[in-house]
Amino acid sequence: MNANRIMADTDDAKMNMTPMIDMTFLLVVFFMLTIDLSQKEFFPVDLPFATEGVEDKEDEGEVRRFVINLAGDGHVYFKSYEFDLASEDPGEQDDAIQALQDALREVHGKDPSLREKDGASKVPVMIHGDWGAKWKYVQWIMQACAHPDIKIYKLQFAVKRPPDKKSKN
Amino acid sequence: MNVPLEEPEETELNMTPMIDIVFQLIIFFLLSLKFKTIDRRIESMLPKDRGLAPTPTFPEDFLKVKIKLFRRDMKDKEKAHTVLRIDNDRTTYKLPAAWKGRLKELSAGTRVQDYDKTMARIKSVVVKKMKAHGGNPEEVKGEIVAPPPKGGAVPHGDIVQVLNIFLELGMIDVVFEGAATPLTSKERAARAAKKGR
Repeated sequence: MNANRIMADTDDAKMNMTPMIDMTFLLVVFFMLTIDLSQKEFFPVDLPFATEGVEDKEDEGEVRRFVINLAGDGHVYFKSYEFDLASEDPGEQDDAIQALQDALREVHGKDPSLREKDGASKVPVMIHGDWGAKWKYVQWIMQACAHPDIKIYKLQFAVKRPPDKKSKN
Repeated sequence: MNVPLEEPEETELNMTPMIDIVFQLIIFFLLSLKFKTIDRRIESMLPKDRGLAPTPTFPEDFLKVKIKLFRRDMKDKEKAHTVLRIDNDRTTYKLPAAWKGRLKELSAGTRVQDYDKTMARIKSVVVKKMKAHGGNPEEVKGEIVAPPPKGGAVPHGDIVQVLNIFLELGMIDVVFEGAATPLTSKERAARAAKKGR
């Protein structure tokens, strides 16, 4: 009888780990999901300065935008694709632009709900480009977007406010 | 009496290593979590009817302010700089700051101020031109021309600054001109034919 009572006491004093483990797993899952979404989209670049930019809020519209990253050395990162526009050989540059077009076409898909009546795409493209990237690369990206079977015309340039200017008055 | 008491404790699962690992995972994801770096954007539209036209064919009679940009001294990275010309005026404007130096030089303040001064001068000229065209910014088209090859090498940041001047003045209709694909259409067709074989 005595021994039984002792056994019951020690059982009661033990910590119940289950809720803590539940919580930690939830945290792990949360971080895993957020990390996937926030990191892939933007490549770290030195953005150009502009005072006229509008505050960027993600996904205001019904359609999720495409982000095309342009690094200072002419590399383009779009979703999981990478293209090198800075090649010495114009043929290779042309191939890179073609590949970008193919990627845009593939990612855009054929969903008719993403198209306006005139065939233009509803998807906006953000050019998240480095300050020092050559302008012709941006132009090539714009040309790829405006290609007759892609028809993306909505364009956004990612910019940042100059650190030496507070706000325009 | 002691034996039945110890047995159930030994068969219990040891949670400690699992919890250790889970905490490690949490710390890893916490540290590698990066928040996005942009907070502003400029919106724009590409021309629908002439997106890929080799030469732009607009009527010449509309009111416009044209800013032409090109790069000089491209061979020397230190000396390379952008030069601007407004309409066909004789005056050219040299943008002094090399893009790489901009952030660094902000603390010193000299060359960045030069850059901003030049931009302010350009803005005042654009304002004059706009007034000469009637003064309604929405009726005057801004044109940013960067003809290849010297225009293609202008940094994206300089073009955005010029675009910013137009937007500051309320000129929302801005045209970009001067794109050239790396291959001419003939070269492209020849390459396609070669690949097909």
